Amino acid sequence: MSTKKLVIVGVILVIFQVFSFLVGGLIAPSPTSAVHYLATKCVDVRKHHQNSTWFMPWGPNQCEKIRDFDEAMIKKIEANEIVFAVHIPLPNNEMSPWFQFMLFILQFDIAFKMGNQIEEGAVVTIDVSLAYRDDTFSKWTEMAHSIEQRKLSCNFSTPKTHEYEGRHYECDLLPFMELGSVAHKYYLINMRLPVNERKKINVGIGEIKDIRLVGIHQNGGFTKVWFAVKTFLTPSILIIMIWYWRRITLMTRPPVLLEKVIFALGISMTFINIPVEWFSVGFNWTWMLLFGDIRQGIFYAMLLSFWIIFCGEHLMDQTERNRFGVYWKQVGPIVFGSFCLFIFDMCERGVQLKNPFYSIWASDLGTELANLQMAFIIVAGICACLYFLFLCFMVFQVFRNISGKRTSLPAMSKARRLHYEGLIFRFKFLMLITLACAALTVIFFIISQVNEGHWHWAGYTVQVNSAFFTGIYGMWNLYVFAIMFLYAPSHKRYGDDQSNAGDLGVNSGEEIQLTTTITHVDGPTEIYRMTGKESQE
Amino acid sequence: MRASSVASTILSVLFALLLVTPDAQATLWLSLARQPLSRGSCSELEGLSGGQVVLCQRQWGAMESVRRGAELSIEECQHQFRARRWNCSTGSGVNVFGKVVLQGTREAAFIHALSAAAVAFAVTRACSRGELEKCGCDRKVRGVSPEGFQWSGCSDNLSFGVAFSQSFVDDPERSRGLSSSRALMNLHNNEAGRKAIVHSMRVECKCHGVSGSCEVRTCWKVMPPLRRVGNVLKEKFDGATEVQLRKVGSRKVLLPRDPHFKPHSPQDLVYLSPSPDFCQLDPRGGIPGTEGRQCNATSRLAVDGCELMCCGRGFHTARAEVVERCSCKFRWCCSVQCKQCRNVLQVHTCR
Repeated sequence: MSTKKLVIVGVILVIFQVFSFLVGGLIAPSPTSAVHYLATKCVDVRKHHQNSTWFMPWGPNQCEKIRDFDEAMIKKIEANEIVFAVHIPLPNNEMSPWFQFMLFILQFDIAFKMGNQIEEGAVVTIDVSLAYRDDTFSKWTEMAHSIEQRKLSCNFSTPKTHEYEGRHYECDLLPFMELGSVAHKYYLINMRLPVNERKKINVGIGEIKDIRLVGIHQNGGFTKVWFAVKTFLTPSILIIMIWYWRRITLMTRPPVLLEKVIFALGISMTFINIPVEWFSVGFNWTWMLLFGDIRQGIFYAMLLSFWIIFCGEHLMDQTERNRFGVYWKQVGPIVFGSFCLFIFDMCERGVQLKNPFYSIWASDLGTELANLQMAFIIVAGICACLYFLFLCFMVFQVFRNISGKRTSLPAMSKARRLHYEGLIFRFKFLMLITLACAALTVIFFIISQVNEGHWHWAGYTVQVNSAFFTGIYGMWNLYVFAIMFLYAPSHKRYGDDQSNAGDLGVNSGEEIQLTTTITHVDGPTEIYRMTGKESQE
Repeated sequence: MRASSVASTILSVLFALLLVTPDAQATLWLSLARQPLSRGSCSELEGLSGGQVVLCQRQWGAMESVRRGAELSIEECQHQFRARRWNCSTGSGVNVFGKVVLQGTREAAFIHALSAAAVAFAVTRACSRGELEKCGCDRKVRGVSPEGFQWSGCSDNLSFGVAFSQSFVDDPERSRGLSSSRALMNLHNNEAGRKAIVHSMRVECKCHGVSGSCEVRTCWKVMPPLRRVGNVLKEKFDGATEVQLRKVGSRKVLLPRDPHFKPHSPQDLVYLSPSPDFCQLDPRGGIPGTEGRQCNATSRLAVDGCELMCCGRGFHTARAEVVERCSCKFRWCCSVQCKQCRNVLQVHTCR
């Protein structure tokens, strides 16, 4: 491959990169949207609560409502008879499987009152049930029912005096519910806050005025664009992977470790890419969220391992590596860390498959469990630190060896010199694009965190967050693509080289030497050859 | 058939009359707080302007929220002014706050701002409760993509609430034309009230990426409780700017009366004429006076101190036995168990 081809490939990659940013920024809406719900206070007028009925906040068959609790006080309604009802979505809308997931945040509006303050460490016990239906007239079907506890952490910024009665506490957001698929059109949440003074249930939780929910779901438009991006990227990575593997099998020698690792990287990328999410539109697969997490985790673990092994293979310290066993010290923490995160994820999202109201962060009963999970996260964090120390150390070693080799280069035989120059070039090349990719990721991440989400620019609305997702996703795909493309072993036989490319034929002497090197790269080898040529001249 | 056409003629004449007497119009809709609402009764409701009646017929569902907004603004006004000479007292007529709001005073400015904010607040809350049909997905509200809810979600409900407040609360002023200084003042204050809500919105975020990481983060705005809006507006009341109508080019605008003052911002309250001192009973001006009001004998310089409250007329002191609820046991809802305590207090009332 010539420099010209290399430039063409580079330009094409850059064009695709820009394209992937634009797709997210201009076509897709913002990735998620949040909808506010204010719970309607229904009164359960029935005397016995055995059979479950559902309370609708609005529409036909709506429940008997009260406006505030002063009214309840006058009517002598008890706490256990008040049902907080929320219908999802708001009138005239329908939920859709394209939303992919739904999660809900719970917030209490609690007014400050001198005689009725929130006690230290107050816990709210919520008897909550969730139902669904797919048309506006049929019966509600129960999906989940649970008794959940949430810890209130509220503060009151003004002095607690009579003067400031009626002001609201500022309470932290409480995780409420998470659904891994949105298979139905309408959902209904009914909540009760039963009071039991003997058991100290819902005592000392202040004067609750209202219950608010915030529902977050992925935007249908974003999902569609996202699926389109994935569907487009899958075959491109798949094709380059097959091409790459063919190149390896064409060689007479067995593939070296680095080649295998690059191939594995390609596999994990394809694994993420395959748009199995399409099925979530047709089927009610609640585990899709968890599956997505797992796929992402595998790719990250693979990428991190790849960097370590790539550095290791370029150490140039004459030790025989080329075996996976050598790297267990470095790869071990990665695998262990990912495993910890996997366990953690299983505990949260896995349990949510059974009980959508479960949240590690909120469970008070499972404090022990939560501690255990915190331990998992901490271990994962330590692993990440260890990994980066290792990686930095290895990169540092490589650079030290490079500078060491640089000084001794002129003294070497031409072949050895070219071999080392090739290694150095190849390493620096990957370092460069890896750093560029990582920097872009970090920059865009920061922009998307700091920015309010969209920019208005010359009449266009650019969705920064969506651009971040599609752009970064496209970028890592292109990264894997480029690595496989450029680092594939050369298929050209050296005899062919002489007959086909006359300009390269002159330095066959060195190239015979090249076959003894461990790995071959296509692009950089090219420049390597050219340097060889120049040196001959 | 004939009778109804006669009735409608009378009605339209009535509206025309109402339009001729504009100053009484602006906040008459607040009397909705006192009237029962029943479906189809829009044209029988007292105090609505022509445009408001049309809006009432078109969006009946929102009228309950308007009523709630009127109630809330009266409650909030009375809370904010509980310790001042003018304590937002209400009369029984259609004009809830009496004649105080008819003059272009600070008090009128406050009421306008608060009521516009309260309507936006109440409508937004009704939206979140699902009581209104359109709300954030209403095409007429800015920020909704044509593809709708399933493609990109709806805009937040507050923008609907604000837009509704603009078309409902501002209607009497609009119909009066933009040349009168009172109309301009009221419109400015209404908008300032709505701005007070929009600017005290709090942004909250939730991270929900892999294992709860901030890779994916969603943020939204939370509407403040009305009390906080009331506090903001009370501050604006204290720092309100006195303005007068000036001609700039071909447009008439309100500019500070004192040219040395810097021009007011859109969030500030403006007024045209200074307020009376609210000391003496003045039935013609609609001022109840401070006679008989309780005051605080211990605080001298505060607005609720007897010195200021009673306008220097002095005060009576009487011992009164007050039965108070004490050592109460609350539940979160609906039951309070209290003991009754008897306290002997000294009560000071203005002469």
